[in-house]
Amino acid sequence: MIPFAKLERYEGNESLFELVLMSVVSTLVGEPLHIHAEGLRGTGKTTIMRAARGILPNITRIKGCIYNCDPERPHCPQHKNMTAPELAELGTEEIPMPFLEISHSAKVGTVAGSIDLSRLTDSTQPEARLLPGLIPQAHRGILFIDEINRLADTSPEITDILLDVMGNKPGHIQIEEAGLPVVEIPVSVSVWAASNPDEDPGPLEEIRRQLSDRFDMVCYMGRPDSVDILAQMLKENSHAYKNKRYKDSHEEDDPGNEVYRKNIVKWAGLYEQADLPDFLRNFIARLYIKHNLESIRAIEAMQQGAVLHSIIRGHDKVLINDVTDMIPLVLKHRVDGDTLIKMINDVDSRSAKDGILTFRGRKNKKSKKEDEPDYFPQNARPLKDMSRGELINTEKTLTPSDY
Amino acid sequence: MIGEKTNIDKAASVGNYLSLYFGQNQGVRLGESTVVSRKAHRRMPEKRIKGQIKILLNRDAGKTYLDYVDADQVVHIDTYHKPGEINPLYVARAIFYALENYFLEQNPQLQYAEDERFKMVTDYANRIFITTNGGKGTVYDLFQGIIRPFIEGEEGFDHVHVLVRLNREEYYLVYVIAEAVEEVILQSEVKLAKVRNITHGNQKQAEESFAGYIKLPWKKFKGQQARQLPAKENVNQLILKLAEKFGGVDEIEEFLDSYSTNVFKRKGIDQQKKKWGDVEHYVEQLEELGLLKDTPFGKILTRKGLSLKDFVMNHKCELETEIRRNIRRAPSGGTSRFKKMGKVEKKSQQVEFTNRNKTINNPEKNWSGDLAVPETIVQAKKNSFLRGDTRLRIQKDDLHYYEKKSYIPIDICLLIDASGSMAGDKRQAACYLAEHLLLTGKEKVAVVTFQERSSKVVVPFTRNERILRRGLSTINPAGLTPLADGIMTALNLIKDTRVRNPLLVLITDGVPNTPLWTLDAKADGLEAAGRIANSNVRFICIGVESNRYYLEKVADRAQGVLYLVDDLNKENLINIVKAEKRTMLEAKRSLA
Repeated sequence: MIPFAKLERYEGNESLFELVLMSVVSTLVGEPLHIHAEGLRGTGKTTIMRAARGILPNITRIKGCIYNCDPERPHCPQHKNMTAPELAELGTEEIPMPFLEISHSAKVGTVAGSIDLSRLTDSTQPEARLLPGLIPQAHRGILFIDEINRLADTSPEITDILLDVMGNKPGHIQIEEAGLPVVEIPVSVSVWAASNPDEDPGPLEEIRRQLSDRFDMVCYMGRPDSVDILAQMLKENSHAYKNKRYKDSHEEDDPGNEVYRKNIVKWAGLYEQADLPDFLRNFIARLYIKHNLESIRAIEAMQQGAVLHSIIRGHDKVLINDVTDMIPLVLKHRVDGDTLIKMINDVDSRSAKDGILTFRGRKNKKSKKEDEPDYFPQNARPLKDMSRGELINTEKTLTPSDY
Repeated sequence: MIGEKTNIDKAASVGNYLSLYFGQNQGVRLGESTVVSRKAHRRMPEKRIKGQIKILLNRDAGKTYLDYVDADQVVHIDTYHKPGEINPLYVARAIFYALENYFLEQNPQLQYAEDERFKMVTDYANRIFITTNGGKGTVYDLFQGIIRPFIEGEEGFDHVHVLVRLNREEYYLVYVIAEAVEEVILQSEVKLAKVRNITHGNQKQAEESFAGYIKLPWKKFKGQQARQLPAKENVNQLILKLAEKFGGVDEIEEFLDSYSTNVFKRKGIDQQKKKWGDVEHYVEQLEELGLLKDTPFGKILTRKGLSLKDFVMNHKCELETEIRRNIRRAPSGGTSRFKKMGKVEKKSQQVEFTNRNKTINNPEKNWSGDLAVPETIVQAKKNSFLRGDTRLRIQKDDLHYYEKKSYIPIDICLLIDASGSMAGDKRQAACYLAEHLLLTGKEKVAVVTFQERSSKVVVPFTRNERILRRGLSTINPAGLTPLADGIMTALNLIKDTRVRNPLLVLITDGVPNTPLWTLDAKADGLEAAGRIANSNVRFICIGVESNRYYLEKVADRAQGVLYLVDDLNKENLINIVKAEKRTMLEAKRSLA
């Protein structure tokens, strides 16, 4: 696999790279950011997301805790009620941020949790215990679902679990196993998904609207349109080149990835401090009102995204451009194309050059005659002041027949 | 001042006039500021004269504003005023008391029968809907303080908009209501506006103008790179708009080619209209966007227009995806109105498949399906442990089995009338329906058209979008309506293909006028319909009200269902076919 740092970047996939970084930074801080990459077959959605595994930073957990308990804030049934000294005694360990995948043959048991078979079949000391599934194990990390539209279509049960997990930040999950007590634990997982809206069974928002709304951002992949980039991609993927690289590098890790990892840790530190200025917050709120948006998740995501975006771009404060850049990502799956375009353009003319000087804007004003306030030039007499003969008038009596 | 006694007579005589003019399908101006009719009203900004109100004869008020199915149920009273806030609560209250007083005056006995009086007024209060720029609701609701917000762009920003469900004999109440409304406006210190004139006319289908908000990137800007993304989104949206109208990328190219400088590719406006319906609006919009320009040789693409064409050609892949995505989307107009007549009773076969992802463990029920061995053993092991067994035992309630699912595949054959009258928008709507069905379902779709003296299979049963598109683009409505021939072709197609639960959907806006076997086109149509009844094909017919008499007979002979619509637009078509599919699925479920 080509390391994340070496993947070819072009206009159409740039925003996915940014989203991936933003989500990793946010996850590291403990606030999930759910992202969804949509695009045509073979445009590299899955490749980029899987390659991100190479840049994931480490997280610290209580030693041996499969729920990835944060030593500061333990949440799993086992460590939740322990005192600080008890926890200190257990010790901590560093593991890479979890990156797990839900496959299409997944069952509710493997995703949420089920009885621990190895303990149950232990010949010396059998025991009935829960084994957390993929989602609880991915706590403080990333859960990747390829072809999410297919999953939503074929496994409504898993979709329901995802709705719970992604509903709030952090979400929660309930593990049920007949005969054992129900366990409910908070999980903070960033869900990454990829899908091709053009393949069966169609785009996610047509299959499970709620699930599609749970994704904070959706990124539409474009195809590369430059010959150079394509040639470079071919080269990277050619057999000879791969072999050479394999021979050259003895270490698994690419130095470029290491740079990313360091940056992510740095950015996460910044993100913990950063906040959106009030005027931008008001700006976002006004967008919500003005364009009749439905889901509040949209503007929450806009706020979260704007801050993250400014950080990975290296700004020390959030700019209006950070917010406007988020608009298509946050809203494309939530509103129809017309509304989105109106929002983008409206926002643009406020911030950019073509405000005063275009004539087209003026031309359009003419068509807004409907609300002309002085459409009725004259005042009318009230009914009670009129004589009977004047009460009813038809088109004929009102239209002067001769001049 | 006129005395109270005469006031009653005024109302009654107004009522008389109203039923006279309404009977002639006209509206009137009542007093100087109020327009009354059973239709929708609109300002006429296109005329130079201000203060005109147009009564839209093709838009019934009840149907337009209240989603009624039947026409002429509702009287529409608009009292125009100068800019100012009008509180709907006051209007409601004024109407309520005005009605009460009026009834009292008419029948003084009522003052002793308070209950009766109250019942009468409340009954009317439930039938009166008010919208002002301050909010809306029925008089009854508003009277109790329940007020729904006014939405920008709706009726009522410059007038008090009142809809009343009244019978002919009750039209005298219009005067009472109008007077009460005026009173409130004046009390709110807002002036009444004089309606200078009223005119009658049909509303042109309001076409959305997109030129207003789309901004194209092909301008010479410095530092354009920074704003690349929104620009691209704009172009995308423009193309999607065009695709909605013309059908697809290829059609857009064809349309743009009609304005190229290559004489062989150019197409006259008539030719375009035949294929795509009203294109003038789109031409205007493109002109406004600066994509088309006038030359002595006719309209041609500007340089920007050419770059649009290049963009379309270079990004076909993505654009087609986006277009398909839009087609998949269910139509937003959920309130399409259609009348359904008849019922189909036919057995349908279902397909069963096993869902390997889900197992069921239900000891109560007898299971039928494949045993899920791993799950069963895990369950048995667990239960053995919990029971305290010394060794593994598998009992009945440990059994897991795979879930069985069934669905009813419905292969649809569209039988489309391609006679001359279907040209333009109706053709586009039928094509859209075909694509929507293919993209949203898992079943095959076929299209048969009939025109002039024969019929043909345009698209055989297929799941291939390319074949469908290619077939649809050949539909070119012209000529007569040989219904019988169409039905027979469709039946033969269904017979010759392996299809499951075939549903034949006839879409027509006329009655047959070309016979097949005899000299009587209509009789032949019925004869052919009779053959549908003898096959295992379900049949629905989508037609327009004016042909009801004949189509009813066709549906009846075919033992099918008739759907009548006001307009053969794509929302109606899609909703009808969806409704029909749903009834087929539900019928099966209730049998099971």
